Amino acid sequence: MKPFATIQELKQQLEAKKISAQELLSYYINRFKTYDNQIQSALEIFEQDSIQQASSAVGQLAGIPGIIKDNIAQNDRMLTCASRILQDFNVPYDATAIKRLKQVGAPLLGRANMDEFAMGSSTETSAFFKTRNPWNLEHVPGGSSGGSAAAVAAGLVPWALGSETGGSVRQPAAFCGIVGFKPTYGLISRYGLVAYGSSLDQIGIFAHTVYDVATICSVIAGHDERDSTSLSTAQKDYTQSLDGRLPDGLRIGVIKSALYAQGMDQEVIGAVEQTIAQYEKLGAKISYIDLPSLDYSAAAYFIISRAEAASNLARFDGIRYGARAVGAKNLKELYNKTRYEGFGDEVKARIMLGNYVLSAGHADEFYNNAKKVQRLIRAELASTFNDVDILLMPTHPAPAFKIGAFDKNKLQMDLQDYFTCPMNMSGNPALSLPCGMSKQGLPIGVQLIAPHVAEELMFKVAHAYQVVTDWHMQHPMNFK
Amino acid sequence: MIRDVLMAKITKEEVIKIARMSALELPEHEIEPMMQRLEEVLTYAECVKQVAAEHEELQSNAAVNVFREDTVIPVDYRAILKRAPEQQDNFFVVPSIIDSSTSSES
Repeated sequence: MKPFATIQELKQQLEAKKISAQELLSYYINRFKTYDNQIQSALEIFEQDSIQQASSAVGQLAGIPGIIKDNIAQNDRMLTCASRILQDFNVPYDATAIKRLKQVGAPLLGRANMDEFAMGSSTETSAFFKTRNPWNLEHVPGGSSGGSAAAVAAGLVPWALGSETGGSVRQPAAFCGIVGFKPTYGLISRYGLVAYGSSLDQIGIFAHTVYDVATICSVIAGHDERDSTSLSTAQKDYTQSLDGRLPDGLRIGVIKSALYAQGMDQEVIGAVEQTIAQYEKLGAKISYIDLPSLDYSAAAYFIISRAEAASNLARFDGIRYGARAVGAKNLKELYNKTRYEGFGDEVKARIMLGNYVLSAGHADEFYNNAKKVQRLIRAELASTFNDVDILLMPTHPAPAFKIGAFDKNKLQMDLQDYFTCPMNMSGNPALSLPCGMSKQGLPIGVQLIAPHVAEELMFKVAHAYQVVTDWHMQHPMNFK
Repeated sequence: MIRDVLMAKITKEEVIKIARMSALELPEHEIEPMMQRLEEVLTYAECVKQVAAEHEELQSNAAVNVFREDTVIPVDYRAILKRAPEQQDNFFVVPSIIDSSTSSES
Protein backbone atom coordinates (compact mmCIF):
# COMPACT_ATOMS: atom_id res chain seq x y z
CA MET A 1 0.00 0.00 0.00
CA LYS A 2 1.35 3.36 -0.97
CA PRO A 3 0.28 6.12 1.43
CA PHE A 4 0.20 8.70 -1.33
CA ALA A 5 -1.95 6.73 -3.75
CA THR A 6 -4.40 8.83 -5.70
CA ILE A 7 -8.15 8.23 -5.76
CA GLN A 8 -7.72 6.97 -9.32
CA GLU A 9 -5.09 4.42 -8.24
CA LEU A 10 -7.10 3.31 -5.24
CA LYS A 11 -10.21 2.76 -7.35
CA GLN A 12 -8.17 0.53 -9.67
CA GLN A 13 -6.87 -1.47 -6.75
CA LEU A 14 -10.34 -1.89 -5.28
CA GLU A 15 -11.79 -2.94 -8.62
CA ALA A 16 -9.00 -5.44 -9.15
CA LYS A 17 -9.77 -6.77 -5.69
CA LYS A 18 -6.16 -6.24 -4.63
CA ILE A 19 -7.49 -4.65 -1.46
CA SER A 20 -10.88 -4.40 0.23
CA ALA A 21 -12.69 -1.23 1.26
CA GLN A 22 -12.38 -2.26 4.87
CA GLU A 23 -8.63 -2.83 4.59
CA LEU A 24 -8.22 0.54 2.97
CA LEU A 25 -10.13 2.29 5.71
CA SER A 26 -8.09 0.51 8.40
CA TYR A 27 -4.94 1.46 6.59
CA TYR A 28 -5.68 5.18 6.64
CA ILE A 29 -7.02 5.21 10.18
CA ASN A 30 -3.75 3.58 11.14
CA ARG A 31 -1.78 6.20 9.23
CA PHE A 32 -3.43 8.87 11.41
CA LYS A 33 -2.73 6.90 14.58
CA THR A 34 0.91 6.53 13.63
CA TYR A 35 1.75 9.90 12.14
CA ASP A 36 -0.78 12.54 13.11
CA ASN A 37 0.85 13.22 16.48
CA GLN A 38 3.58 14.96 14.50
CA ILE A 39 1.37 17.33 12.54
CA GLN A 40 -1.94 17.27 14.47
CA SER A 41 -4.07 17.68 11.39
CA ALA A 42 -7.17 16.05 12.87
CA LEU A 43 -9.44 17.23 15.66
CA GLU A 44 -10.98 13.77 15.70
CA ILE A 45 -10.73 10.50 13.86
CA PHE A 46 -13.96 8.53 14.09
CA GLU A 47 -14.35 4.87 15.06
CA GLN A 48 -14.07 2.56 12.05
CA ASP A 49 -17.51 0.99 12.62
CA SER A 50 -19.27 4.33 12.75
CA ILE A 51 -17.48 5.47 9.58
CA GLN A 52 -18.64 2.41 7.68
CA GLN A 53 -22.15 2.76 9.04
CA ALA A 54 -22.43 6.41 8.01
CA SER A 55 -21.25 5.69 4.45
CA SER A 56 -22.64 2.24 3.78
CA ALA A 57 -23.73 2.93 0.21
CA VAL A 58 -21.95 1.19 -2.60
CA GLY A 59 -20.87 3.86 -5.04
CA GLN A 60 -18.00 5.35 -6.97
CA LEU A 61 -16.13 6.52 -3.85
CA ALA A 62 -16.76 3.43 -1.73
CA GLY A 63 -13.64 2.66 0.23
CA ILE A 64 -11.87 5.94 -0.56
CA PRO A 65 -11.73 7.90 2.69
CA GLY A 66 -11.49 11.64 3.11
CA ILE A 67 -11.29 14.06 6.02
CA ILE A 68 -13.62 17.01 6.42
CA LYS A 69 -12.79 20.50 7.67
CA ASP A 70 -14.59 21.02 10.96
CA ASN A 71 -16.91 23.74 9.69
CA ILE A 72 -18.83 21.36 7.43
CA ALA A 73 -21.70 19.52 9.10
CA GLN A 74 -21.51 15.73 9.38
CA ASN A 75 -24.69 14.35 10.97
CA ASP A 76 -24.34 13.29 14.60
CA ARG A 77 -20.68 14.25 14.72
CA MET A 78 -19.16 17.19 16.53
CA LEU A 79 -18.94 20.49 14.66
CA THR A 80 -16.62 22.86 16.48
CA CYS A 81 -15.14 25.24 13.87
CA ALA A 82 -12.08 24.84 16.13
CA SER A 83 -13.77 27.15 18.63
CA ARG A 84 -14.48 26.82 22.34
CA ILE A 85 -17.94 28.22 21.75
CA LEU A 86 -18.82 25.03 19.85
CA GLN A 87 -16.43 22.63 21.54
CA ASP A 88 -19.19 20.29 22.71
CA PHE A 89 -21.60 20.85 19.85
CA ASN A 90 -22.97 17.82 18.01
CA VAL A 91 -24.66 18.66 14.72
CA PRO A 92 -27.99 16.99 13.79
CA TYR A 93 -27.76 17.09 10.01
CA ASP A 94 -25.49 16.57 7.00
CA ALA A 95 -24.23 19.35 4.78
CA THR A 96 -25.37 18.78 1.19
CA ALA A 97 -21.77 18.07 0.14
CA ILE A 98 -21.56 15.45 2.89
CA LYS A 99 -24.89 13.90 1.94
CA ARG A 100 -23.72 13.53 -1.66
CA LEU A 101 -20.41 11.99 -0.59
CA LYS A 102 -22.21 9.48 1.60
CA GLN A 103 -24.55 8.63 -1.28
CA VAL A 104 -21.57 7.36 -3.28
CA GLY A 105 -20.15 5.49 -0.31
CA ALA A 106 -17.25 7.79 0.54
CA PRO A 107 -16.05 6.98 4.06
CA LEU A 108 -15.60 10.17 6.08
CA LEU A 109 -12.72 9.62 8.43
CA GLY A 110 -12.88 12.56 10.78
CA ARG A 111 -12.78 16.30 11.41
CA ALA A 112 -9.85 18.37 10.25
CA ASN A 113 -8.31 21.19 12.27
CA MET A 114 -8.67 24.77 11.07
CA ASP A 115 -8.26 28.39 12.10
CA GLU A 116 -11.09 29.26 14.47
CA PHE A 117 -14.22 29.95 12.40
CA ALA A 118 -11.98 29.92 9.33
CA MET A 119 -10.43 33.22 10.36
CA GLY A 120 -6.77 32.94 9.60
CA SER A 121 -4.12 31.90 7.11
CA SER A 122 -2.04 29.52 9.18
CA THR A 123 -4.25 27.28 11.36
CA GLU A 124 -2.59 28.98 14.32
CA THR A 125 -5.83 30.38 15.73
CA SER A 126 -7.51 27.03 16.34
CA ALA A 127 -8.69 27.02 19.95
CA PHE A 128 -7.36 23.49 20.35
CA PHE A 129 -3.91 23.17 18.83
CA LYS A 130 -1.81 24.23 15.87
CA THR A 131 -1.36 22.00 12.85
CA ARG A 132 2.15 21.66 11.45
CA ASN A 133 3.38 21.50 7.90
CA PRO A 134 4.43 17.90 7.08
CA TRP A 135 7.31 19.26 4.98
CA ASN A 136 8.81 21.05 7.97
CA LEU A 137 7.20 20.76 11.36
CA GLU A 138 8.32 24.22 12.40
CA HIS A 139 6.36 25.80 9.60
CA VAL A 140 2.65 26.42 9.20
CA PRO A 141 0.56 24.36 6.80
CA GLY A 142 -1.30 27.50 5.79
CA GLY A 143 -4.91 28.20 6.62
CA SER A 144 -7.63 28.29 7.42
CA SER A 145 -7.99 24.75 5.99
CA GLY A 146 -4.55 23.73 7.28
CA GLY A 147 -5.65 20.45 8.85
CA SER A 148 -7.22 19.22 5.61
CA ALA A 149 -4.17 20.20 3.56
CA ALA A 150 -1.65 18.72 5.99
CA ALA A 151 -3.53 15.41 6.23
CA VAL A 152 -3.52 14.92 2.46
CA ALA A 153 0.08 16.12 2.08
CA ALA A 154 1.26 13.65 4.74
CA GLY A 155 -0.52 10.78 3.02
CA LEU A 156 -2.92 10.24 5.90
CA VAL A 157 -5.91 10.41 3.57
CA PRO A 158 -6.20 10.74 -0.26
CA TRP A 159 -8.61 13.69 -0.32
CA ALA A 160 -10.15 16.28 1.94
CA LEU A 161 -12.72 19.04 1.98
CA GLY A 162 -11.86 22.53 3.08
CA SER A 163 -13.48 25.92 2.66
CA GLU A 164 -12.50 29.27 1.23
CA THR A 165 -13.46 32.81 2.05
CA GLY A 166 -10.22 34.55 1.03
CA GLY A 167 -7.96 31.73 -0.14
CA SER A 168 -8.17 29.19 2.65
CA VAL A 169 -7.91 26.18 0.33
CA ARG A 170 -5.50 27.42 -2.33
CA GLN A 171 -2.93 28.88 0.05
CA PRO A 172 -2.60 25.79 2.30
CA ALA A 173 -2.55 23.60 -0.81
CA ALA A 174 0.40 25.62 -2.10
CA PHE A 175 2.16 25.53 1.28
CA CYS A 176 1.68 21.76 1.49
CA GLY A 177 2.47 20.79 -2.11
CA ILE A 178 -0.94 19.50 -3.18
CA VAL A 179 -3.82 20.58 -5.38
CA GLY A 180 -6.39 22.94 -3.84
CA PHE A 181 -9.53 23.96 -5.69
CA LYS A 182 -12.05 26.77 -5.12
CA PRO A 183 -15.18 26.47 -7.26
CA THR A 184 -17.17 29.21 -8.94
CA TYR A 185 -19.22 30.89 -6.23
CA GLY A 186 -22.46 28.96 -6.04
CA LEU A 187 -21.23 25.78 -7.72
CA ILE A 188 -20.91 23.79 -4.51
CA SER A 189 -23.75 24.14 -2.01
CA ARG A 190 -23.05 26.07 1.18
CA TYR A 191 -25.85 24.29 3.04
CA GLY A 192 -24.14 22.86 6.10
CA LEU A 193 -21.01 25.01 5.77
CA VAL A 194 -20.80 27.26 8.81
CA ALA A 195 -21.06 30.78 7.40
CA TYR A 196 -18.17 33.22 7.71
CA GLY A 197 -18.50 35.57 4.70
CA SER A 198 -21.64 34.47 2.94
CA SER A 199 -20.94 36.26 -0.34
CA LEU A 200 -17.46 34.74 -0.44
CA ASP A 201 -17.62 31.27 1.19
CA GLN A 202 -17.26 28.10 -0.85
CA ILE A 203 -16.39 24.53 0.01
CA GLY A 204 -13.10 23.55 -1.63
CA ILE A 205 -11.31 20.29 -2.42
CA PHE A 206 -7.79 18.98 -1.69
CA ALA A 207 -6.09 16.04 -3.40
CA HIS A 208 -2.74 15.09 -4.95
CA THR A 209 -3.97 15.41 -8.51
CA VAL A 210 -6.34 17.52 -10.56
CA TYR A 211 -8.01 14.33 -11.76
CA ASP A 212 -8.83 13.43 -8.16
CA VAL A 213 -10.15 16.92 -7.44
CA ALA A 214 -12.37 16.67 -10.52
CA THR A 215 -13.62 13.30 -9.25
CA ILE A 216 -14.72 14.76 -5.92
CA CYS A 217 -16.17 17.83 -7.64
CA SER A 218 -18.32 15.56 -9.79
CA VAL A 219 -19.87 14.19 -6.61
CA ILE A 220 -20.52 17.35 -4.62
CA ALA A 221 -21.03 20.15 -7.14
CA GLY A 222 -24.34 21.10 -8.69
CA HIS A 223 -27.57 22.86 -7.86
CA ASP A 224 -28.99 22.54 -4.36
CA GLU A 225 -32.38 24.00 -3.49
CA ARG A 226 -31.34 24.34 0.12
CA ASP A 227 -28.80 27.04 -0.82
CA SER A 228 -30.40 30.10 -2.33
CA THR A 229 -27.04 31.18 -3.75
CA SER A 230 -26.59 27.86 -5.51
CA LEU A 231 -26.12 28.05 -9.28
CA SER A 232 -28.52 26.21 -11.54
CA THR A 233 -25.65 24.08 -12.91
CA ALA A 234 -26.53 20.39 -12.81
CA GLN A 235 -24.24 17.73 -11.37
CA LYS A 236 -21.84 16.45 -14.01
CA ASP A 237 -18.71 14.41 -14.58
CA TYR A 238 -15.74 16.78 -14.49
CA THR A 239 -13.21 14.09 -15.39
CA GLN A 240 -14.53 13.51 -18.90
CA SER A 241 -12.51 16.26 -20.57
CA LEU A 242 -9.23 15.29 -18.91
CA ASP A 243 -7.27 13.74 -21.75
CA GLY A 244 -3.92 15.28 -20.84
CA ARG A 245 -3.98 17.77 -23.71
CA LEU A 246 -4.45 21.51 -23.75
CA PRO A 247 -7.29 22.91 -25.84
CA ASP A 248 -6.03 24.08 -29.25
CA GLY A 249 -4.84 27.65 -29.26
CA LEU A 250 -5.19 28.05 -25.51
CA ARG A 251 -4.34 31.59 -24.44
CA ILE A 252 -2.88 31.94 -20.97
CA GLY A 253 -2.66 35.38 -19.39
CA VAL A 254 0.10 35.70 -16.82
CA ILE A 255 -0.62 38.41 -14.28
CA LYS A 256 2.76 40.05 -14.24
CA SER A 257 1.84 42.61 -11.60
CA ALA A 258 1.49 39.67 -9.23
CA LEU A 259 4.43 37.58 -10.41
CA TYR A 260 6.84 40.48 -10.15
CA ALA A 261 5.25 42.25 -7.20
CA GLN A 262 7.51 43.84 -4.66
CA GLY A 263 8.61 41.39 -2.00
CA MET A 264 8.04 38.25 -4.05
CA ASP A 265 10.29 35.35 -3.06
CA GLN A 266 12.80 34.73 -5.85
CA GLU A 267 12.30 30.98 -5.75
CA VAL A 268 8.54 31.40 -6.17
CA ILE A 269 9.15 33.60 -9.19
CA GLY A 270 11.52 31.00 -10.60
CA ALA A 271 9.07 28.14 -10.13
CA VAL A 272 6.21 30.06 -11.73
CA GLU A 273 8.40 31.09 -14.66
CA GLN A 274 9.23 27.44 -15.22
CA THR A 275 5.54 26.62 -15.15
CA ILE A 276 4.92 29.22 -17.83
CA ALA A 277 7.71 27.73 -19.94
CA GLN A 278 6.16 24.30 -19.50
CA TYR A 279 2.80 25.55 -20.73
CA GLU A 280 4.50 27.14 -23.71
CA LYS A 281 6.03 23.78 -24.55
CA LEU A 282 2.58 22.24 -24.34
CA GLY A 283 1.37 24.69 -26.99
CA ALA A 284 -0.23 27.51 -25.02
CA LYS A 285 0.04 31.11 -26.17
CA ILE A 286 1.36 33.20 -23.30
CA SER A 287 0.66 36.87 -22.80
CA TYR A 288 1.49 39.10 -19.87
CA ILE A 289 -1.20 41.31 -18.40
CA ASP A 290 -1.80 43.54 -15.45
CA LEU A 291 -4.65 43.18 -13.03
CA PRO A 292 -5.25 46.51 -11.28
CA SER A 293 -7.81 44.76 -9.03
CA LEU A 294 -4.91 43.30 -7.08
CA ASP A 295 -4.13 46.70 -5.67
CA TYR A 296 -7.46 47.07 -3.96
CA SER A 297 -8.88 43.55 -3.59
CA ALA A 298 -7.34 43.01 -0.18
CA ALA A 299 -8.80 46.23 1.16
CA ALA A 300 -12.31 45.54 -0.14
CA TYR A 301 -12.08 41.89 0.92
CA PHE A 302 -11.01 42.89 4.41
CA ILE A 303 -14.02 45.12 4.87
CA ILE A 304 -16.63 42.84 3.31
CA SER A 305 -15.44 39.67 5.02
CA ARG A 306 -15.34 41.25 8.46
CA ALA A 307 -18.77 42.83 7.99
CA GLU A 308 -20.34 39.56 6.91
CA ALA A 309 -18.55 37.68 9.68
CA ALA A 310 -19.92 40.02 12.33
CA SER A 311 -23.41 39.32 11.04
CA ASN A 312 -22.93 35.59 10.71
CA LEU A 313 -21.40 35.08 14.12
CA ALA A 314 -24.19 36.94 15.89
CA ARG A 315 -26.04 33.62 16.09
CA PHE A 316 -23.56 32.28 18.66
CA ASP A 317 -25.22 33.59 21.75
CA GLY A 318 -25.39 30.69 24.19
CA ILE A 319 -29.14 30.30 23.78
CA ARG A 320 -29.97 27.45 21.44
CA TYR A 321 -26.68 25.58 20.97
CA GLY A 322 -23.03 25.73 21.83
CA ALA A 323 -21.40 26.91 25.02
CA ARG A 324 -23.19 29.07 27.55
CA ALA A 325 -21.38 31.15 30.17
CA VAL A 326 -22.01 30.41 33.79
CA GLY A 327 -23.11 32.98 36.32
CA ALA A 328 -24.76 35.56 34.09
CA LYS A 329 -27.32 37.64 35.99
CA ASN A 330 -29.42 38.53 32.98
CA LEU A 331 -29.75 37.82 29.28
CA LYS A 332 -27.49 40.62 28.10
CA GLU A 333 -24.74 39.50 30.41
CA LEU A 334 -25.22 35.96 29.15
CA TYR A 335 -24.62 37.05 25.58
CA ASN A 336 -21.60 39.18 26.40
CA LYS A 337 -19.94 36.67 28.67
CA THR A 338 -20.65 33.63 26.48
CA ARG A 339 -19.19 35.29 23.44
CA TYR A 340 -16.24 36.84 25.26
CA GLU A 341 -15.26 33.50 26.77
CA GLY A 342 -16.18 31.35 23.79
CA PHE A 343 -14.52 33.23 20.94
CA GLY A 344 -10.75 33.52 20.52
CA ASP A 345 -8.98 36.86 20.16
CA GLU A 346 -8.84 36.88 16.37
CA VAL A 347 -12.53 36.07 16.06
CA LYS A 348 -13.48 38.79 18.55
CA ALA A 349 -11.35 41.33 16.74
CA ARG A 350 -12.95 40.51 13.38
CA ILE A 351 -16.45 40.75 14.82
CA MET A 352 -15.58 44.17 16.23
CA LEU A 353 -14.07 45.24 12.90
CA GLY A 354 -17.13 44.02 11.06
CA ASN A 355 -19.59 45.84 13.27
CA TYR A 356 -17.45 48.93 13.05
CA VAL A 357 -17.58 49.05 9.26
CA LEU A 358 -21.32 48.46 9.33
CA SER A 359 -22.16 50.96 12.03
CA ALA A 360 -24.13 54.11 11.34
CA GLY A 361 -21.89 56.81 10.07
CA HIS A 362 -19.43 54.31 8.65
CA ALA A 363 -21.49 51.90 6.55
CA ASP A 364 -21.51 54.17 3.52
CA GLU A 365 -17.87 55.05 3.65
CA PHE A 366 -16.62 51.57 4.42
CA TYR A 367 -19.01 48.78 3.55
CA ASN A 368 -20.89 50.31 0.62
CA ASN A 369 -17.70 51.52 -1.00
CA ALA A 370 -16.19 48.08 -0.57
CA LYS A 371 -19.20 46.52 -2.31
CA LYS A 372 -18.78 48.95 -5.19
CA VAL A 373 -15.13 47.99 -5.47
CA GLN A 374 -16.17 44.32 -5.45
CA ARG A 375 -18.22 45.06 -8.57
CA LEU A 376 -15.18 46.62 -10.18
CA ILE A 377 -13.04 43.59 -9.39
CA ARG A 378 -15.64 41.26 -10.83
CA ALA A 379 -15.90 43.34 -14.01
CA GLU A 380 -12.13 43.61 -14.38
CA LEU A 381 -11.62 39.88 -14.05
CA ALA A 382 -14.40 39.21 -16.53
CA SER A 383 -12.88 41.59 -19.06
CA THR A 384 -9.47 39.89 -18.94
CA PHE A 385 -11.18 36.82 -20.36
CA ASN A 386 -11.96 38.74 -23.53
CA ASP A 387 -8.33 38.32 -24.54
CA VAL A 388 -7.25 35.15 -22.73
CA ASP A 389 -8.82 31.85 -21.73
CA ILE A 390 -7.07 31.21 -18.42
CA LEU A 391 -5.17 33.40 -15.99
CA LEU A 392 -1.99 32.30 -14.27
CA MET A 393 -0.29 33.81 -11.25
CA PRO A 394 1.48 32.76 -8.04
CA THR A 395 -0.69 31.47 -5.22
CA HIS A 396 1.51 32.95 -2.53
CA PRO A 397 4.36 35.47 -2.22
CA ALA A 398 6.68 33.06 -0.38
CA PRO A 399 6.71 29.45 0.86
CA ALA A 400 5.19 28.45 4.20
CA PHE A 401 6.35 30.73 7.02
CA LYS A 402 7.43 29.62 10.48
CA ILE A 403 4.86 29.06 13.22
CA GLY A 404 4.58 32.28 15.17
CA ALA A 405 6.23 34.42 12.49
CA PHE A 406 3.33 36.85 12.25
CA ASP A 407 2.14 36.77 15.85
CA LYS A 408 2.98 40.43 16.24
CA ASN A 409 2.31 41.44 12.68
CA LYS A 410 -1.35 41.16 11.78
CA LEU A 411 -0.89 43.24 8.66
CA GLN A 412 1.66 40.81 7.28
CA MET A 413 -0.68 37.93 8.06
CA ASP A 414 -3.53 39.71 6.27
CA LEU A 415 -1.34 39.98 3.16
CA GLN A 416 -1.33 36.20 2.85
CA ASP A 417 -4.71 36.60 1.21
CA TYR A 418 -3.38 39.06 -1.33
CA PHE A 419 -3.18 36.73 -4.33
CA THR A 420 -6.18 34.65 -3.52
CA CYS A 421 -8.93 36.94 -2.24
CA PRO A 422 -9.68 38.66 -5.58
CA MET A 423 -11.21 35.42 -6.87
CA ASN A 424 -13.35 35.03 -3.78
CA MET A 425 -14.57 38.56 -4.35
CA SER A 426 -15.30 38.02 -8.01
CA GLY A 427 -16.61 34.45 -7.66
CA ASN A 428 -14.26 33.06 -10.32
CA PRO A 429 -13.09 29.46 -9.95
CA ALA A 430 -9.40 29.04 -9.10
CA LEU A 431 -7.01 26.25 -8.36
CA SER A 432 -3.49 25.95 -6.94
CA LEU A 433 -1.13 23.25 -8.10
CA PRO A 434 2.33 22.30 -6.91
CA CYS A 435 4.96 23.64 -9.30
CA GLY A 436 8.22 23.68 -7.43
CA MET A 437 10.15 23.29 -4.22
CA SER A 438 12.27 25.83 -2.40
CA LYS A 439 15.88 25.06 -1.53
CA GLN A 440 14.69 24.81 2.06
CA GLY A 441 12.42 21.97 1.00
CA LEU A 442 9.10 23.80 1.11
CA PRO A 443 6.53 23.49 -1.68
CA ILE A 444 5.65 26.25 -4.13
CA GLY A 445 2.25 26.56 -5.78
CA VAL A 446 0.96 28.27 -8.90
CA GLN A 447 -2.57 29.41 -9.45
CA LEU A 448 -4.91 29.06 -12.42
CA ILE A 449 -8.05 31.15 -12.66
CA ALA A 450 -10.92 30.59 -15.07
CA PRO A 451 -14.11 32.38 -16.10
CA HIS A 452 -17.27 31.62 -14.14
CA VAL A 453 -18.41 27.98 -14.40
CA ALA A 454 -15.44 27.14 -16.61
CA GLU A 455 -14.23 24.43 -14.22
CA GLU A 456 -13.91 21.87 -17.01
CA LEU A 457 -11.50 24.11 -18.90
CA MET A 458 -9.52 24.89 -15.77
CA PHE A 459 -9.23 21.23 -14.79
CA LYS A 460 -8.16 20.35 -18.32
CA VAL A 461 -5.40 22.96 -18.36
CA ALA A 462 -4.20 22.03 -14.86
CA HIS A 463 -4.31 18.30 -15.57
CA ALA A 464 -2.22 18.67 -18.72
CA TYR A 465 0.56 20.17 -16.61
CA GLN A 466 0.53 17.25 -14.19
CA VAL A 467 0.85 14.75 -17.02
CA VAL A 468 4.27 16.18 -17.96
CA THR A 469 5.60 17.18 -14.54
CA ASP A 470 6.03 15.37 -11.25
CA TRP A 471 5.84 18.04 -8.54
CA HIS A 472 2.60 16.46 -7.36
CA MET A 473 4.45 13.20 -6.81
CA GLN A 474 6.92 14.69 -4.33
CA HIS A 475 6.09 13.79 -0.77
CA PRO A 476 7.50 14.78 2.63
CA MET A 477 10.32 12.44 3.71
CA ASN A 478 9.15 11.75 7.24
CA PHE A 479 5.78 10.45 6.14
CA LYS A 480 6.82 8.02 3.43
CA MET B 1 2.30 61.20 10.59
CA ILE B 2 -0.66 59.72 8.80
CA ARG B 3 -0.96 57.12 11.57
CA ASP B 4 -1.58 59.84 14.13
CA VAL B 5 -4.24 61.40 11.97
CA LEU B 6 -5.98 58.04 11.58
CA MET B 7 -5.63 57.21 15.26
CA ALA B 8 -7.60 60.28 16.11
CA LYS B 9 -10.53 58.81 14.22
CA ILE B 10 -11.26 55.91 16.58
CA THR B 11 -12.15 56.93 20.09
CA LYS B 12 -12.43 54.91 23.27
CA GLU B 13 -16.15 55.66 23.34
CA GLU B 14 -16.55 54.24 19.88
CA VAL B 15 -14.75 51.03 20.81
CA ILE B 16 -17.02 50.59 23.82
CA LYS B 17 -20.06 51.19 21.64
CA ILE B 18 -18.90 48.63 19.07
CA ALA B 19 -18.31 46.09 21.82
CA ARG B 20 -21.86 46.60 22.99
CA MET B 21 -23.14 46.14 19.42
CA SER B 22 -21.05 43.01 19.13
CA ALA B 23 -22.39 41.62 22.42
CA LEU B 24 -18.86 41.19 23.65
CA GLU B 25 -17.50 41.96 27.07
CA LEU B 26 -14.54 44.32 26.84
CA PRO B 27 -12.40 44.56 29.98
CA GLU B 28 -10.65 47.88 30.52
CA HIS B 29 -7.18 46.56 29.70
CA GLU B 30 -8.35 45.26 26.33
CA ILE B 31 -9.76 48.56 25.09
CA GLU B 32 -6.45 50.06 23.94
CA PRO B 33 -5.27 46.97 21.99
CA MET B 34 -8.72 46.73 20.40
CA MET B 35 -8.52 50.39 19.35
CA GLN B 36 -5.30 49.55 17.54
CA ARG B 37 -6.86 46.56 15.81
CA LEU B 38 -9.82 48.63 14.65
CA GLU B 39 -7.43 51.20 13.33
CA GLU B 40 -6.21 48.66 10.72
CA VAL B 41 -9.42 49.06 8.83
CA LEU B 42 -8.92 52.77 8.31
CA THR B 43 -6.14 52.31 5.76
CA TYR B 44 -8.28 49.82 3.89
CA ALA B 45 -11.23 52.16 4.10
CA GLU B 46 -9.22 54.99 2.56
CA CYS B 47 -8.25 52.66 -0.26
CA VAL B 48 -11.77 51.60 -1.18
CA LYS B 49 -13.06 55.14 -0.79
CA GLN B 50 -10.50 56.36 -3.30
CA VAL B 51 -11.17 53.58 -5.78
CA ALA B 52 -14.94 54.02 -5.50
CA ALA B 53 -14.51 57.75 -6.08
CA GLU B 54 -12.42 57.11 -9.18
CA HIS B 55 -15.16 54.95 -10.64
CA GLU B 56 -18.28 57.00 -10.14
CA GLU B 57 -20.31 54.79 -12.45
CA LEU B 58 -20.08 51.91 -9.96
CA GLN B 59 -23.16 50.97 -8.07
CA SER B 60 -23.38 48.66 -5.11
CA ASN B 61 -24.22 45.07 -6.01
CA ALA B 62 -27.82 44.78 -7.12
CA ALA B 63 -29.31 42.01 -5.02
CA VAL B 64 -31.33 39.36 -6.83
CA ASN B 65 -33.81 37.53 -4.67
CA VAL B 66 -34.16 33.79 -5.08
CA PHE B 67 -37.49 32.49 -3.89
CA ARG B 68 -38.78 29.08 -3.02
CA GLU B 69 -42.20 27.73 -2.11
CA ASP B 70 -43.06 28.24 1.53
CA THR B 71 -43.37 24.56 2.30
CA VAL B 72 -42.47 23.21 5.71
CA ILE B 73 -39.94 20.41 5.94
CA PRO B 74 -40.56 18.94 9.38
CA VAL B 75 -37.58 18.61 11.66
CA ASP B 76 -37.45 16.60 14.85
CA TYR B 77 -37.47 19.35 17.44
CA ARG B 78 -36.15 16.96 20.04
CA ALA B 79 -32.89 16.62 18.15
CA ILE B 80 -32.51 20.38 18.34
CA LEU B 81 -33.54 20.77 21.98
CA LYS B 82 -31.18 17.98 22.93
CA ARG B 83 -28.34 20.24 21.83
CA ALA B 84 -29.51 23.24 23.83
CA PRO B 85 -27.45 24.43 26.81
CA GLU B 86 -30.61 24.39 28.94
CA GLN B 87 -34.05 23.23 27.98
CA GLN B 88 -37.38 22.40 29.58
CA ASP B 89 -40.43 20.87 27.96
CA ASN B 90 -40.46 22.43 24.50
CA PHE B 91 -38.51 25.50 25.45
CA PHE B 92 -35.01 26.87 25.52
CA VAL B 93 -34.38 28.11 29.06
CA VAL B 94 -32.79 31.57 29.35
CA PRO B 95 -32.07 33.93 32.22
CA SER B 96 -34.46 36.79 32.80
CA ILE B 97 -34.48 39.40 30.08
CA ILE B 98 -34.91 42.28 32.43
CA ASP B 99 -33.25 42.01 35.78
CA SER B 100 -34.64 44.61 38.14
CA SER B 101 -31.57 44.65 40.37
CA THR B 102 -29.26 46.01 37.63
CA SER B 103 -29.65 49.31 35.82
CA SER B 104 -31.09 48.88 32.37
CA GLU B 105 -29.01 49.87 29.38
CA SER B 106 -29.97 50.12 25.75
